[in-house]
Order: sequence, then structure tokens, then C-alpha cells
Amino acid sequence: MSEQKIVVNSEGFEFAFSEEEIDAIEILKTDEENISIVENSESYSGTIESKEGRNYRVKMGGEDFVVKIKNSLDQIIDNMGLSKPKTHKLKSIKAPMPGLVIEINLVEGQEVKENEKLLILEAMKMENVIKIPHDAIIKKVCVGKGQAVDKGQVLIELE
Amino acid sequence: MKKILVANRGEIALRIMKSIKKMGIKTVAVYSEPDKQALHVQYADEAVCLGEAASAKSYLNMDKIIDYAKKLGVDGIHPGYGFLSENAVFAEKVEAAGITFIGPTPEAITLMGSKLAAKDCVKHYNIPMVPGVDHAIDDIAEAKKVAEEIGFPILIKASAGGGGKGMRIVEKQEEFVEQMERAISEAVSAFGDGSVFIEKYVSSPRHIEVQVLGDKHGNIVHLFERECSIQRRHQKVIEEAPSGILTPEKRQAMGEAAVKVAKSCNYVGAGTVEFLVDANLDFYFLEMNTRLQVEHPVTEMITGIDLVEEQIRIARGEKLRIKQEDLKINGHAMELRVYAEDPLNEFLPSVGHINRYVRPTGDGVRLDDAYEEGMEIPIFYDPMIAKLATHGPTRIEAIQKMKQAIADYEIEGFATTLPFGTFVMDHPAFISAQFDTHFVKNYFSKEQSVEWQKGKARKAALLALAHWKSRKNIIKAPEVSNFSWKKR
Repeated sequence: MSEQKIVVNSEGFEFAFSEEEIDAIEILKTDEENISIVENSESYSGTIESKEGRNYRVKMGGEDFVVKIKNSLDQIIDNMGLSKPKTHKLKSIKAPMPGLVIEINLVEGQEVKENEKLLILEAMKMENVIKIPHDAIIKKVCVGKGQAVDKGQVLIELE
Repeated sequence: MKKILVANRGEIALRIMKSIKKMGIKTVAVYSEPDKQALHVQYADEAVCLGEAASAKSYLNMDKIIDYAKKLGVDGIHPGYGFLSENAVFAEKVEAAGITFIGPTPEAITLMGSKLAAKDCVKHYNIPMVPGVDHAIDDIAEAKKVAEEIGFPILIKASAGGGGKGMRIVEKQEEFVEQMERAISEAVSAFGDGSVFIEKYVSSPRHIEVQVLGDKHGNIVHLFERECSIQRRHQKVIEEAPSGILTPEKRQAMGEAAVKVAKSCNYVGAGTVEFLVDANLDFYFLEMNTRLQVEHPVTEMITGIDLVEEQIRIARGEKLRIKQEDLKINGHAMELRVYAEDPLNEFLPSVGHINRYVRPTGDGVRLDDAYEEGMEIPIFYDPMIAKLATHGPTRIEAIQKMKQAIADYEIEGFATTLPFGTFVMDHPAFISAQFDTHFVKNYFSKEQSVEWQKGKARKAALLALAHWKSRKNIIKAPEVSNFSWKKR
């Protein structure tokens, strides 16, 4: 028997199941749209919202989950280490939510230390201090005081 | 009263208008430019635009609201909650314009609006209070000294605050100055008053409040308590009535204390007396909110009383129709505030476009909302989308109904607090009613929330795998004929 495991990505989390584990899933009921199973004496069920090949959208308890069952080719590529390693240093600071910049006192070329305050973003009447997670040098300040920003908008570029 | 203007927006404006309409009274809505299409505007008999998005230029513009009210022949103004609801100047201006303010007197608002004056006022009624300073502070150096005297952890609260704005817990001395600066700045921008109040932070606290109703003839009743301990960022997110831990004796004691607090300021209308309750069920007076509360539906569900209707009747000068001895608790009610926030990202706002919106229905399910599919959640105001409330004969039945209602409620386009609601309803500490205001900190830290999400993701993965396996077997069925050949 091969030790080949089936890898599933669900909402960004990766899980590897052996064939034995998959065989151990007891299916209570299934049709095109619904599935109920028992695993370790816990039963749960969901609705298959959509299915394209091995890409599923599963609805469970009112929540949607994007599930991708990886085929063996995906796994070989992953095993070859072609997927990118995690970068440790940020290239930019993005807005974690839409809001209003109410304080920003940075200049290009400025050095900032880990946990230093970069700016204050007000959203829904709450003031949130945006800090830098590591030492860095400010390359570009992209927003100004009083500016409204969208979620994900680049606020500051780092060297 | 023939025509009432509701000086608010969103679900609360709509909820208030429903009671007004039921009473055969005309409604006037006000709105800001981005709220032009809002449901409260569509629902009202008449509607007027106040101006730009910023609250200061629209929903907080007292003179404009009153001018429109006069022009339209309005004879009552209901402020809802938030915005101008606890603004004594507004209440005064409304009355000066010859219009009835549906709420307490400006004197009661001023008195209870200042936490210090409120404590001073209720002192004479033997109501227990938490240790703290007896004056508001806006000087950081002085505040630091006071904080060190009381001892950490301490709580900084905006003197004019409410709704968690301008409120910070400081665990350590080193964090004090930065937190104090933020609290003052928030207080200035939200309330125009940067003075704060510093008090000892009681550990393992529960937040339990009592609903009161007072008429203009000196009658005051209480409508039991609401348990509001499940909070994030010091703002309530799940409430229930009655509390799962109070004994009948404690309930009566707290109810009587709340009535005394209301009496101390000759309270008129619907109000809420907030208490901090410690592990021994000893209670301390926190403050009185001189308005309708967000969580009022749970009280309505267990008492069968429409609080907005009572507010209007009281404002018209009618005597209370209910006596204390007639009030009884019927069953149990739960409320979840559905916010456009991401529980997996420390409840940060996650506003956007509503791609799909399906309301939950069913016996004992109440939804106070003001959105529809295709609408945008504006960033200018509170991120609350709706209040989902359920009622059952027992606490556990109310919890079960809430779980089902959450599962039936479909909101797509951004993250909401709905999954967090399920997390709480499933949690042993919540089910056993043994929790305090640290519930989120204790059980839903960043790491714990990620672990929880991962657990759900794994279940979803197994469901997909099981489905894939079962389908694969069906597709592979014709291959069975080759089976013996393969084996050879």
C-alpha cells in the first residue's frame, strides 16, 4: 500500500487524509446536493452548493466553505517545493478595513522599529492604531491625513 | 400626536416607525445623502434629506431636524438610540420648538449623562458602586497618578461616552499613556468632550441591566433584566432576557434598585439601569442609559410589551397601563447583533455590497433589519446590519431557535458576526450560563478563532471528500465487470 495521502484545501487550511481515513467516513445519506456523514461518532451534514471537478462549495450551518480536493499532479508540484516560501518582510502596509486616516506622521526614508505606530485609521467611530510588525524603512507614504481608504488599499510602501 | 419624526436611520428608525404606524400616527424619516435609498426612507409617510454623509452634517444636525419638523407639522420627535438620543440640548430645543421629545426630560438626560453626577445622585439611595475617581479628568499626568493609586487593571471611560466609544481597559502601567491618548481623542471626536473617568476594573464581571418605564405621573416599573455580558471591544454582541444566573431574590433586589435610580432623577419614558455583577452576584451601579436600548427586543419578547408604543403613550402624558405586580417573565429570549464585521479578524469592520440576503423566518424568530439584497453597507455609520432575536419557552429552546435562525439567515458579500453567534450558542460556558464579559478574550482569541475555523473547514473538507468518493464509486460502477480481469 502506498502512503499517498489525499490533500484537501478548505478555506485556506490544508488537510491530508490517508485512504484509510477516507474509507472510515461513514456516509449516512447522499445525493447530488446533500451529504450527511459520521466521523468518530459525530454526525454532520451539508449541502453541495456547487461542484466543478474537484472544486466544491459546501454549505454547513449556514456558512459557505470553498473546498478543493487536490489531484495527484497538484501534490507532486507541491512536493517539489515549487510553491513559494513565506516572505518574512512586508513590502507594504495595507488598510485592514475601510476607514479614514486621522493621523500619519511619516516621511520617506524614515526608519521605523518593530511595533512602532505608523498611523491611526478611524473606522466606524473606532480609532485603530496601525503598527509595523518588524523593523523597516519607509519607501513611500501613499495616503495623507483626512483621506478615506478602502480595505486592502496600500497605505505605506516599505523598502 | 398626529405626526412623529424619527431622528435616526437604519433598523432602529424602521422598527420605531412600525410601532408609530400601528398606533395610527404618521411618520417622517430623515436621511443623509448616502441613505437616500434606505428602507426607513421608503417606509415613512414623508422623508427629508438632512445633508452629507458625516453624522455632524446630517443625523446630528439638530437645528435642521427641528426646522424640518416644524415645517412638516410634526408634533413628536423620537431620537431612537445613538445620534441625538442622549443629547439634552436637543431635547430642550425640541421642547422649545413646541414639539414633544419622546424620551426623558433634558434634566434627567444631563444628570444621568454625566457618570459622575449620576453616581452622586444615586448615592443617597444606598446603591452599591465600583471604586474610582469622583471627578472627570482630561490631564494625562493627573490621570496616570490616579490610575496608579487605584491600581491596574483600570478602566478609562469617556465622561460623555456610551457604546464603548472612548472606553479602554489598561492592564499595565506602560500602556497607560498611549491608551489614555486614544480614549481622549475618541471621546473628543465622538462626543466633543475629552474628559474621562477612571475606575477599578472588576475582574470576572457580568453586565446585567434592568429595563425601566416611568410615566409623567411619578409611576415607575421595571421590566426585569437583560444579560449583556457577551461583548467584543466592550460593545455588546449577544444579549438575553432573563439572565441565566439571577435568583428570584437578586432579580427583585436589582429591579428595586433600578426603580430607585429612576426615581432619583424623576425619570420619564423608557430607560435602562446598568449594573456590573461579580462572581458572588453582588451588583454595582454603572450608569443609566436614558433612551431605548439596542437590545430592547428581548425584553419585549419576554414581557409582551411594545416599548416604543409605551414610550409614545408616556410622551402623550398617559398613565402607565402596567403595574409591577402584573408583570411576569414569559419564557426566554436571545438576541444576536449582526454586524458587518469579521470575527476571524478581531471583529474588524468588513463592509461592502450585499450580494445575497435571505431572512430567517419561523415561530419565535424576530428580525429587526433595514437592508435588502443589492444594498451597500455605508462606512460612515455603525456596522450593525440587523438584530436577530429568538424566543422559546426555556433558555435552551431559545438557544436552539437562535442556532436554526442563524443557519437560515443568508448574507453574502462580506463577513458578519453570524458564525460567531453559532460559536457562542454551541459553547459549554454559554449553555451553562457560566460566563462573564471576558468570554471573547477567554474563548475566542485570535488563535482560538482560527482553530475553530480550522475545525469547521476540516468538517467541510470531509463532507466534500465523502461526496466525491460516493460519486466516484457511482461513476466507477461499470468498471466492476473488469474487476476479476484485473485481479488475475
